Amino acid sequence: MLQEESDLSLIIAQIVQKLKGSNLYAQLERQAWASLQRPEIKLESLKEDIKEFFKISGWEKKLQNAVYSELSVFPLPSHPAAPPEHLKEPLVYMRKAQGSWEKRILKSLNSMCTELSIPLARKRPVGEQKELLNKWNEMGTDEPDLSLFRPVYAPKDFLEVLINLRNPNYENGDSLSFRTHLGLIQVPLKVKDIPELKELFVELGLTTGQLGIDDSTQVPPELFENEHVRIGQKVLTEQDSAAAQQYIRQGSPTALRAELWALILNISSHPEDILYYEQLKTNVIQHDLLVDSLIYKDVKLTASNDDYYFVFEDYLYQVLLCFSRDTSVLSHFAYNSASPPKSYIRGKLGLEEYAVFYPPNGVIPFHGFSMYVAPLCFLYHEPSKLYQIFREMYVRFFFRLHSISSHPSGIVSLCLLFETLLQTYLPQLFYHLREIGAQPLRISFKWMVRAFSGYLATDQLLLLWDRILGYNSLEILAVLAAAVFAFRAVNLMEVTSLAAAEAVLADLSTLKVMPLLQIFLFATVT
Amino acid sequence: MAGKVKWVTDMEKSVLINNFEKRGWVQVTENEDWNFYWMSVQTIRNVFSVETGYRLSDDQIVNHFPNHYELTRKDLMVKNIKRYRKELEKEGSPLAEKDESGKYLYLDFVPITYMLPADYNLFVEEFRKSPSSTWIMKPCGKAQGKGIFLINKLSQIKKWSRDSKTSSFVTQSTKEAYVISLYINNPLLIGGRKFDLRLYVLVSTYRPLRCYMYKLGFCRFCTVKYTPSTSELDNMFVHLTNVAIQKHGEDYNHIHGGKWTVSNLRLYLESTRGKEVTSRLFDEIHWIIVQSLKAVAVNASPSLTSSTANDRILKYNLINDTLNIAVPNGEIPDCKWNKSPPKEVLGNYEILYDEELAQGDGADRELRSRSGQSLGPKASRLRDAGRTVLTTWK
Repeated sequence: MLQEESDLSLIIAQIVQKLKGSNLYAQLERQAWASLQRPEIKLESLKEDIKEFFKISGWEKKLQNAVYSELSVFPLPSHPAAPPEHLKEPLVYMRKAQGSWEKRILKSLNSMCTELSIPLARKRPVGEQKELLNKWNEMGTDEPDLSLFRPVYAPKDFLEVLINLRNPNYENGDSLSFRTHLGLIQVPLKVKDIPELKELFVELGLTTGQLGIDDSTQVPPELFENEHVRIGQKVLTEQDSAAAQQYIRQGSPTALRAELWALILNISSHPEDILYYEQLKTNVIQHDLLVDSLIYKDVKLTASNDDYYFVFEDYLYQVLLCFSRDTSVLSHFAYNSASPPKSYIRGKLGLEEYAVFYPPNGVIPFHGFSMYVAPLCFLYHEPSKLYQIFREMYVRFFFRLHSISSHPSGIVSLCLLFETLLQTYLPQLFYHLREIGAQPLRISFKWMVRAFSGYLATDQLLLLWDRILGYNSLEILAVLAAAVFAFRAVNLMEVTSLAAAEAVLADLSTLKVMPLLQIFLFATVT
Repeated sequence: MAGKVKWVTDMEKSVLINNFEKRGWVQVTENEDWNFYWMSVQTIRNVFSVETGYRLSDDQIVNHFPNHYELTRKDLMVKNIKRYRKELEKEGSPLAEKDESGKYLYLDFVPITYMLPADYNLFVEEFRKSPSSTWIMKPCGKAQGKGIFLINKLSQIKKWSRDSKTSSFVTQSTKEAYVISLYINNPLLIGGRKFDLRLYVLVSTYRPLRCYMYKLGFCRFCTVKYTPSTSELDNMFVHLTNVAIQKHGEDYNHIHGGKWTVSNLRLYLESTRGKEVTSRLFDEIHWIIVQSLKAVAVNASPSLTSSTANDRILKYNLINDTLNIAVPNGEIPDCKWNKSPPKEVLGNYEILYDEELAQGDGADRELRSRSGQSLGPKASRLRDAGRTVLTTWK
């Protein structure tokens, strides 16, 4: 009991510390001062009266949402003596692996730089700045020569690194047993089995209404949909983050989704936020970064060719170019196993005073990165709001999909979860695919790294991301991947090569995610 | 013994021929006994022309109504809608109701339009009322965006002035006739681009009016960002959305051809603007289609040339569903067929309007629903067409 209490006070202290530096704190202070004018505030009971005022005026709710937001993102309480690296990643071998992976990426970036003799950053001449400002809303029409640029890495390169991960303290033994893991990932992380997943995803059960299933045309809306929409509207009126997160586990009505996500992510557009975005835009105009070309290339290769997202090409530049320059993103490295790459001012290699993070936000984009932003364009068309939502999604979820860590929502755990589910519950399929040289993870990896963006139809993708937000976890990606294999099992059993297996799973655009998930978790005999 | 349907076509399109062959229908020539003839526009004209035409027998179906050009030709379409509105007004139909400023409440879906050169003077009068407006000139008989241009000065259309002595332009020739409409320069933009809707509507009978809308219509986007700036009036890539034009733009992407499905559009609009507005939008689109059909007749040929792989699949399925409705069960056509097809054969079509069914529910329901009065839970959108037999709007 004592331990819990001291844990709690530690967390509270940390959160208070964080919030004290925030805009909300300043606003609350201002509101408290202003409230002194009010007749109901009496000197004798100042504290209680102000608290009461906050409750009635909705400010307490805002504070509640901010605290809830911190709790969602904050890593679990650790020993007060634990060094900061443990917040990033407790396991040494994982930290080491992430470190060498980063070195490789940086090396690749630097050599591209040297080969092409392009500086990592340069200030734009005034003429070029003017031109870019004019073209800001249609950068997609620009045709810079990108043929010499290559993406710094692609998901499959990253997969190779994960396959080679080993825990030096773990002795696998040479003899095969029923415990042997037959997949590609060979590290002993704990992952959930179906009974545990059923507990976690209890709201996806067969007896609970779902959007994505119970709103189809065959079902009368009175049965579920109407009531669910009504509750959603109520949640929005109350502006309660925690309630919204619980609500959205059953899916969000399309008309309410933009607001619900903003509420859950605790994003509100204040003038300061819009100003901040404009400042980032100015940074883009004034300085050209090498990563900008990587971003252009990525957008041109992926989003521009996508049936749904090509329309939003220009928004993607506006978001991603600003994102690269946003130093506030650096704070998420406190709980990300990755670390921002450091670069040194020319001639001052190794001197810490001349070190800068490159790119300024510490995130080097890889092939497919722009697909994290694309689906959001269906919800938000105001650039600064779109930007804020994306940034928050990145620092809460997406970063875990391309850094090496032991976190249950980290990509390593997701891969292991996927493989374990398949091996345990579809052993025949798993064994068959392995035999023909088609390890399932080789096919599903790219789906999970991109959180299925670009593979599912947009409406289905949004229903999936509803649940990511609702459960504050990415595990559902692994479950869906396994469910897709289960769904196409009959065809997969008949293929005899990796290429044929890829072909069976090439087109996911007709899949309905919620029925697949439900059947896999709740309707399959385990 | 039920014979096999005998088909003819004068268009070498795989989406057609594959559909006929998969049904086991028999290909014949037009001189033989045929049941189903998928005709090009030219052939239709010949079949139904006064001099060269012939009467179809009871077991023959073609893919166009004789008066289809009443909607294809822009001048005839405008004339028909104007006439339809006047007729309704004369009958005292509540559909023709106007507001205080004289605008039709329910039938205002065509912008101010004039025929040139016939209405030149009327047009000039209107133009002078708001001289900074932009107008769009479209040749009456062309399609695929050919010959269209925008103007914002009278001098740009001096040629069409009836009194013009310098005009070498033959005023009476219907081939050179144009319509000029007020250009809507604040269109809905997505991703900053203008787009239009390509919807497929099948009309199986006129009396009673039975029409179906294909659920998988699509939007076509311009490759270039929209700007109402007058300096870009000449840039057709900004203003016109026909694929034929966009295909030649530098940025045209062959993988997706600048299209979205209508359901994408719906998702986007519901997400960014809300459900009520979006539902109302689609209701009004359906309303316009039905009213236009009632005003007249059917459009000529939609393009059956496929621009992308997805497009090919779409058009194949479209023809498939069309044939299932038009020639149910692959039986030899019979002009006495009068029953509404059962729900299962609709495929991706949904009932847009079925006059018989609508009249069964009472004609005044149509107006009540238009003016927004609730008709109860049964009167919900077209998607319910599968469950109830209702075919009017909410």
